[in-house]
Amino acid sequence: MNVPLPKRIWQAFARTRVGRSIFRVGLPESNLERSQAMVSSFLLHVQPAKVHRHSLRAAYSLGLGLITLYLFLILIGTGVLLMFYYVPSTQQAYDAMKDLQFVVSAGLLMRNMHRWAAHLMVLFVMLHLCRVFYTGAYKRPREFNWLLGVGLFLLTVALSFTGYLLPWDQLAFWAIKVGTSIAGYAPVIGQKLRFLMLGGHTVGQEALIRFYVLHVIVLPGLAVLMIALHLWRVRKDGGLSRPDEPGDVVEQIELGQLPTNKTYGLMELARGTTPQVGRDPEDEVFSWPHLVFRELLLFLLVVAVVLFLAIFWNAPLEEFANPIHPPNPAKAPWYFLGLQELVSYSAFWGGVVVPGLLVTALALLPYLDRRRVGIGRWFARERWVANTIFTVCLLAAIVFTVIGSFFRGPNWGWVEPWQKPPAVSEGS
Amino acid sequence: MAATFATAASTVAAVRFLVPNVLYEPSERFKAGKPEDYPDGAVTFLENEQVFLLRKGNTFRCLSAVCTHLGCTVNRADHGYHCPCHGSVFNDQGEVEGGPAPHPLPWFQVTLSKDERLLVDKSKVVSSDKPLVV
Repeated sequence: MNVPLPKRIWQAFARTRVGRSIFRVGLPESNLERSQAMVSSFLLHVQPAKVHRHSLRAAYSLGLGLITLYLFLILIGTGVLLMFYYVPSTQQAYDAMKDLQFVVSAGLLMRNMHRWAAHLMVLFVMLHLCRVFYTGAYKRPREFNWLLGVGLFLLTVALSFTGYLLPWDQLAFWAIKVGTSIAGYAPVIGQKLRFLMLGGHTVGQEALIRFYVLHVIVLPGLAVLMIALHLWRVRKDGGLSRPDEPGDVVEQIELGQLPTNKTYGLMELARGTTPQVGRDPEDEVFSWPHLVFRELLLFLLVVAVVLFLAIFWNAPLEEFANPIHPPNPAKAPWYFLGLQELVSYSAFWGGVVVPGLLVTALALLPYLDRRRVGIGRWFARERWVANTIFTVCLLAAIVFTVIGSFFRGPNWGWVEPWQKPPAVSEGS
Repeated sequence: MAATFATAASTVAAVRFLVPNVLYEPSERFKAGKPEDYPDGAVTFLENEQVFLLRKGNTFRCLSAVCTHLGCTVNRADHGYHCPCHGSVFNDQGEVEGGPAPHPLPWFQVTLSKDERLLVDKSKVVSSDKPLVV
């Protein structure tokens, strides 16, 4: 038999006393060992030993949640490295950025990767949200997990926003000035909230250290907790959503609908569909290797894409922050440009009411739309009302974002992106 | 009961902890030089203080340069003031002519200090027809 060398080395190591003490199961050869490999490893046991074929279909989930998770891992890795050089001081932060760019080995690459992974994470968290919506995957029993997902979406945006200030360049300073002023329009507590965010009335040293602490410990810590909960719920709610759910398992056992030639341990009596007690065990495959290797491949792909982008496109760094001269136009990060466009009509309606209503509607969605139809299928026809409403909101968000990004020039005036921007007259 | 009280108390303490008691921000009151430093009819932008100082004859007035919309610095135009961030337009009186700004630009109190300098207090908003007459 022609066994490749790395595998032979691994097998030899796994057989030693040390190897066995660490891995317990070597490279699995039998189905029993495949199950044992999943159950006995801390990292792998988050996942079931067997997984439904439907969950593995790339065309169904598109792997969006997993990609988001991988981007988050890249962000933690690069972020921790960046922290070794970054100093959260208005005097030193910008110099640290310059050092990373010109002095530190691979410093520019790390910053670029962090920047790209951050933008991609915001994008993919949104795409993931759309996928879950269009497949009706937020319905019972997954309502709470949808809620956690909305929380994670907001956390991702907050992480990105707090990170935006840290380079302390013109882009950072004015984006945060505009962003926190929007928060100031919230009714009653707006000004107090803004004061608390900034630790004062202006964007200065106090604001920088606050955003830094939020960005490097408070928000990522919360995100790790919520991601863990999110993944745990995916499993407890019976894996990825799929059509024709057999309903509540306990109910089925009581009704005698489950086959009698199988026995069920009490710990498998989870609500909803679980791979262990589904009606069609023949549709399940062993997680090792089917799930694990797909996950590994996807991880490599995500890292490769982020590396590629980071090598060829640099993260921007404008001049040192100048509280006296706003750039013209002063733009927020891209995911806020739709909001900024709305805010240019009215700060209160566009900056507080509309986003507030949208987030509330997203959070309440699974409790409002309770019809259990069209679960586990893309664009199910029975759900055309919900799909239409969602699509209209989504298109509106995209249109406003595109206008804010490409059609707004000096003084937030209308420009066509294919024309040369008009010369900006500096004020007296 | 005790647990509820302890939770409430520690929440209040944590929030209160985050509200700073001392701010190291520039003073709201500042001296803007001698009246004769400003030519008649001029609108002078005081960069560090983010205000415009206007002189007409022997009257002095001071207009905020911070847009009431989202806090960008407005630019002096031929007539009035333009905000570069979201396109608010203010007239010479600081009143909103267009754009999303919800309030007019405020006028600040100008007085004369003992050593004959213009003294602006940005914490005191006055009406535009109450200039300092020197």
